[in-house]
Amino acid sequence: MELKQFAASTANDHVLGLSWSADGERLAAAPSEGPILVLNRQAALVGELSDHGLGNGAAVFHPDAGSLATCGTDGCVRLYDDVSPFARPVEISLGKGWIERLGWSPDGRHLATAIGKRLVILDAGGAPVCEFGPHKSSVCDFAWNPREPREITSVCDGGAHLWRLGHDAPFARFDWGGASLLAKWSPDGRWVVTGDQTPSVHLYDLTRDYPLHIQGYETKVKALAFNSASRKLATGGGKLVTLWTCTGKTGPEGTIPRQLQGHTGDCLALAYRPGSDWLASGGVDGRLILFEPDSSAQPRASQRLGSAVTCVAWHPRDPLLALGTEAGEIVLVEVA
Amino acid sequence: MSARTPVTILTGFLGAGKTTLLNRILTEQHGRRIAVIENEFGEVGIDHELVVNTDEEIFEMNNGCICCTVRGDLIRILGRLMKRRDKFDRVLIETTGLADPGPVVQTFFMDDDMKEKFVVDAIVTVVDAKHILLHLDDSDEAREQIAFADVLLLNKCDLAEPAGVDGLERRLRGMNALAKIHRTTHGAVDLEKVLAVGGFNLDHAMELDPHFLDGETGDGHDHHHHHHDEEIASVGIEAGGDVDGRKLNAWLSELVRTKGQDIFRTKGVFALAGNPDRIIFQGVHMLIDGANGGPWGERPRMNRLVFIGRNLDREALNAGFRDCLA
Repeated sequence: MELKQFAASTANDHVLGLSWSADGERLAAAPSEGPILVLNRQAALVGELSDHGLGNGAAVFHPDAGSLATCGTDGCVRLYDDVSPFARPVEISLGKGWIERLGWSPDGRHLATAIGKRLVILDAGGAPVCEFGPHKSSVCDFAWNPREPREITSVCDGGAHLWRLGHDAPFARFDWGGASLLAKWSPDGRWVVTGDQTPSVHLYDLTRDYPLHIQGYETKVKALAFNSASRKLATGGGKLVTLWTCTGKTGPEGTIPRQLQGHTGDCLALAYRPGSDWLASGGVDGRLILFEPDSSAQPRASQRLGSAVTCVAWHPRDPLLALGTEAGEIVLVEVA
Repeated sequence: MSARTPVTILTGFLGAGKTTLLNRILTEQHGRRIAVIENEFGEVGIDHELVVNTDEEIFEMNNGCICCTVRGDLIRILGRLMKRRDKFDRVLIETTGLADPGPVVQTFFMDDDMKEKFVVDAIVTVVDAKHILLHLDDSDEAREQIAFADVLLLNKCDLAEPAGVDGLERRLRGMNALAKIHRTTHGAVDLEKVLAVGGFNLDHAMELDPHFLDGETGDGHDHHHHHHDEEIASVGIEAGGDVDGRKLNAWLSELVRTKGQDIFRTKGVFALAGNPDRIIFQGVHMLIDGANGGPWGERPRMNRLVFIGRNLDREALNAGFRDCLA
């Protein structure tokens, strides 16, 4: 296995996130400051979209259509039907506050975002649908249920809330008392996992209404990724990538995880290739590492970049990875 | 570790003059690019691009222990600001008049990302020289803001009687022997005295008021002569002779474990038996940080230790330290 860098561009600032369009022909990059960039799959610039004041938050393509949502510290969400140089967005102001995250529901009918203690749901055209909350603290992250596109979890100080569109109160809560910062929902809908302010993760088995608390990480867990089959959960908290098996009646409870080595600095980003067990990992050490954990705990391939790898995104179909760095590089890498 | 960005924490009871000082800092031509984290209810009232409003969010790290709380809002905002290419030279955090400074300080010691990128320069507490006495006896927050401070600005001195200010300064000195005290009017102070303090710099750990520890030496006695506040006070200990490092470590560990919630600040320098160098340390609640302070050189090998806290048992602290002498 070999990683071949074949194209690159620059955003001139810390790349916060990358998102491929559903057809795989466009890549959106949200730098910390400056215009949001839209590139083609040769990393050539095809669009520059307005920034969000003091800083951008995220840029996320619709799961089916070609539209793009962006957000930032100006408290606005912008929806672009197309990403041409003359694109005119629909702008939705949600008030005073920073917006750092966006997430389309799996069916593309809703767009979730969070501002302060509010989890806000918009429809695909930007019209407000509902708000969930109040939360004990600012909503730190959220994740849709891939199996049930009307369910979403939010995390904040206290733990996780699970909401269902059409209902004001959460249908489940996992209050562990501390602050959760990251959220993922497994593709099969069974597990909600959180990365916490303390160096730990909480894993909630929705089939059993049962929480697991996993400690022992070197640092805060900054990256979480399930594989497509929901059998493996990769967690990055420190230099090691820790892999938990989420099968069977009790999932990872009482099991010994696999620990994947290769980074010399903290892991910042993890992503499984859709439909595969290839796991891409980016770290503070400026390394992109490709693991195939079923065959080895050692890297199958790696590439060194000029600064910390802050985000990775697999192409929806092809063996192609986009990655962003702290220095603002956007690099496309082919797995050969 | 790359150069860390200094952080100044600005506290003070309601109406003390924090906003006036903040305005002065932001409008004066000092050449520094300052990011200001302002409490949600504050009003800076000037157009400054790097003013961010926030609402205090306390994250508990360990079953409700106050020594293990951090400010989640600061972690989120500062973490995000540090990702900008166009960074800043300094951060100034204005707390609410009723805020406990503990979680703000602890954020920069307990969160790995904050610890890597930032260093607390000082806690600056603005005190209304005319009205603070109305609050000192019945406000935990006002007392704790004074106890935590590296710098106390006695503001609005033009409105108070000079004799009253003298008495207030003596009382504050009794509560916090480590802070530098400056008298001001309308927040007018040389900004170097609030922005380049080095209050958490271990090299400055024992830059005390020279009179605070005056008196006998060599017997581990407490030499604090200005005690006016029964609840919050400073206890200073000075003793010649070498200290047994193992005993000292055990004593300090036990002390912060059992009394850490009541000990706001600690600073000290020790002469360890068999070690030619000074050992300097400081602490905030249960978090303590030590370092080698270099050779004693011509200086006498003298142990000096200061605690600022609530309901401190002077005799017990002295006895505990005496037991650590080799």
